[in-house]
Amino acid sequence: MKNSMKLFSMLMLSAILVLSACSSGSAESDYPSKNVELVAPATPGGGWDATARAMQNVMDSEGLVEQNINVVNKPGGGGEVGWQYLKGQDSHSLAINSSLVIANNLLGQSDLTYEEFTPLAVLATEWISVAVPAESDIEDGIDMLDRLKEDPKSLKIAVGPALGNNDHLSFVRVADEYGVDVSQLEFMIYESGGDVLTALLGGHVDVATLSISESLEQHLSGNLNIIATTADKPIPEDESIQSWQDQGIDFTFPHWRGIMGPPDMTEEEIAYWDETFSKMVETEGWQKVLDNNGWEDYYMNSEETKAFLDEQNEMYDGLMKKAGLTE
Amino acid sequence: MGVDWNSFLEGFTTAMSFQNLLFIIIGGLLGTIVGMLPGLGPATAVAVLIPVTFGMDSTNALVLLGAIYYGAMYGGSRSSILINTPGDGSAIAATFDGYPMTRKGQAGQALTLATLASLVGGTVAIIGFVFLAKPLAGFALQFGPAEYFFLLIFTLSAVVSLSKGNMIKGFVSMVLGLLITTIGIDSQSGVYRYTFDIPHLSEGIDFLVVIIGIYAVGEVLYNILLIKDEDQRIKGPVGKSWITKEQWSRSFWPVIRQAPVGFLIGILPGAGGSIASMISYSTEQQISKRSDEFGKGAPEGLAAPESSNNAAAVGAFIPLLTMGIPGSGTTAVILGALIMLGLQPGPMLFQNQPEVAWTFINSLFIGNIALVIMNILLIGFLIKILKTPPHILYPIILVLAFIGTYTLGYSIIDFFILMIFGVIGLFMKILNIPTAPLILAVIIGNQMEQNFRMASISYDSIWGMVTASPIAILFAALTVLSVFLPALFNRLSRVK
Amino acid sequence: MEIIRFIVPSIILVISVIYLILTFNLPEAKVGNPTAAMNYPLLIGFSLLGLSILYILSEIKDKKKVFDAYKIFADKELTIQVIIVLVLCLGYTFLFERIGFLISTVLFLGALLFLINGRRKWLTNIIVAVVFSTASWYTFAELLSVSLP
Repeated sequence: MKNSMKLFSMLMLSAILVLSACSSGSAESDYPSKNVELVAPATPGGGWDATARAMQNVMDSEGLVEQNINVVNKPGGGGEVGWQYLKGQDSHSLAINSSLVIANNLLGQSDLTYEEFTPLAVLATEWISVAVPAESDIEDGIDMLDRLKEDPKSLKIAVGPALGNNDHLSFVRVADEYGVDVSQLEFMIYESGGDVLTALLGGHVDVATLSISESLEQHLSGNLNIIATTADKPIPEDESIQSWQDQGIDFTFPHWRGIMGPPDMTEEEIAYWDETFSKMVETEGWQKVLDNNGWEDYYMNSEETKAFLDEQNEMYDGLMKKAGLTE
Repeated sequence: MGVDWNSFLEGFTTAMSFQNLLFIIIGGLLGTIVGMLPGLGPATAVAVLIPVTFGMDSTNALVLLGAIYYGAMYGGSRSSILINTPGDGSAIAATFDGYPMTRKGQAGQALTLATLASLVGGTVAIIGFVFLAKPLAGFALQFGPAEYFFLLIFTLSAVVSLSKGNMIKGFVSMVLGLLITTIGIDSQSGVYRYTFDIPHLSEGIDFLVVIIGIYAVGEVLYNILLIKDEDQRIKGPVGKSWITKEQWSRSFWPVIRQAPVGFLIGILPGAGGSIASMISYSTEQQISKRSDEFGKGAPEGLAAPESSNNAAAVGAFIPLLTMGIPGSGTTAVILGALIMLGLQPGPMLFQNQPEVAWTFINSLFIGNIALVIMNILLIGFLIKILKTPPHILYPIILVLAFIGTYTLGYSIIDFFILMIFGVIGLFMKILNIPTAPLILAVIIGNQMEQNFRMASISYDSIWGMVTASPIAILFAALTVLSVFLPALFNRLSRVK
Repeated sequence: MEIIRFIVPSIILVISVIYLILTFNLPEAKVGNPTAAMNYPLLIGFSLLGLSILYILSEIKDKKKVFDAYKIFADKELTIQVIIVLVLCLGYTFLFERIGFLISTVLFLGALLFLINGRRKWLTNIIVAVVFSTASWYTFAELLSVSLP
């Protein structure tokens, strides 16, 4: 059974090779020629897994891809395990990614670089907030930065689940821009966004940096105060929340999720996914996924994604040096 | 908060609707079956069954997920009692006396007792939930790093103190467990520790792999060595599955006492069933007049932790539903599922969608009763497992251990870790080194280190940490007591 | 006195020493206190070192008591069986992702059954191996949609 499958797929593969060698234009209709595999480089239940399963759900129910789509979990090493796996697959495997695909390499935690893969799309983003307990006397983002500028160790800042992630780096970047000595900042690292929230609500830390979807609910019910966001436009649920831009610091920072393919995908294959994903993000099903998760549409096609990744890479490189994470 | 009785009743009638009852039964059954498999505890059971809820009405989905979670809790202790293989951290304490009961031929009674204890624990906790959810949510926030650190230290010392007359081995076991948890990336500093450049190790060793290795694999290897020894054979279930009056009267007060203990611990984010059941077991052993029967099949030694961990499972929903904060791996998975369904648990849930919240709470209560009935009906079927010849049962347990491990990390590196701990488990059994301290240390070790280090940023000295709050003082004092009190009692009784 | 009673305590001693050496060679943290990642492991390493010495001392103290824990290995045939089981586990690990879940599980379970249940019951062995593997594959891969190789 397994062997015949293998034989079959090898035959198919050689058929595709022959076809695409003869006429590069007509091969488009043959791809994808077998089940498509969506790699979630995380365990079931996390954000990456949710993204993969939501995509599978939407593309299946809208009939956007003729072949079956399967979600495969390959957790470990902050995406490393899943992306290593992707590197060895053919163009029928795609993987969810985020800024970690850049950051892991810069931090020296991975030998993989984003350039080894085929960028396909950026799909959605979240924005990051800075929050303080409701009874805190910190008035706004600038007030907090002033205090840190005077004494970087005066506030305990909660972040999770690891240094070098977006929540951490976005905070470092804005503080740095304001002239705070960021290498002296006192971060407390919690295991998850939920733990960060608990610590903040319990008053065990002074400030927390976490995604808006995690803090908004508590802000709306008055248990904490969002004093700044990295968003480029007002938050629909509460337009009075001030972004850094509103407070005069020219700074936005998306926490994005995207998708990429293995190395060396052909132009037809890339074009296929450009078409499919651009249709997918327009569907009502996908809009509902975004709404439920508190994500925002951030679609970019393969071309734009490539340029975006280059730009992100440069920004992260500079940021990590400033944060003292790399030399 | 005053209880909103209208919403409560509305929730009750919704939960009693035919459709929801059906979901409770299906979910409970699925959860029980998945929970019985080694390594597949509540978290995995819920995670793998989430896709089933796609496209369902959000109330139904929530009811179904709750039932799966609850069912898996019941299922976990089934395998602890029958084959000494806990499905999850919170089911470990059930092996201490549950498995010895099985060996004595009391498997049916052990299962019944565990089920009834769970019912009491769950019911007490649900009553607590209805009346005290809001004030207790605030209680959980009191726990900062210092308070957590001393709670965790207390749990460890309570478990080590179980190994009476064998303290050195108990401490060795604990420190080995703590050592294992230092493997992986250190979250406070980003330094990679003892990972030997294996990416899979950077997130540390999953405690469930350690549990499966030591219990399932170690147990099978040990039993193969004894396969010819007729004395070691589990006696077939003798007599009735209904419990005796004596068993019930011995268990009654421990079950009632430990339910609130488990409930309170369950509320604390990150604590949960493993800690609750261990603390309940060791306190019952220490205050019992028959403490030397513990570990040899004392019914109260099984009933107390079962009551406590079920109460903890309900308690864990308080931070989730009232604050949107998941306190455990399982509730984090449930939170993810709820968000996919378009529900946002948190302070607004009880205001915006009270009927959803109350339906869920009522469905936990109804689910509890439904599961008790199902589990008692299943007992006859379950003890048939024991009639399977060990020559066939052991290979099957081994295979299940491997499959369970694979579902945890989808990596064969875990298989090597599984085998290593299988062999370690075998030798610990042979040399009579207690395994519970090691397992517990693996479960909470990382949390303990991180809390300790955050506490040392916040307070200048150990003394500052101890006196951080009344809670910290309480747990620090309990720790000292749990280590020295048994020794003191020993002295005193010898003097007599 | 029997030397074998010191084997495991000595292994633990060696582990604690290796662990301490590894700990001293940990890289320095790039953020904050450079030895922050090291302090707690050092505490653990030294505790284990101390405990393993205590363990050895307690064995010396007990030297007059009979040490028969390893009597369990007296039956050569069963000891060899356990070793073969471990070798089979290793084999399973190597085959699992290469030839897929179903075939490797049938082989593994089959081999275990032939080993433990005996060759005479070959029919039961084959039936159990095939039925159980297929059933568990179906449950996990199809019903629970867990991705198995």
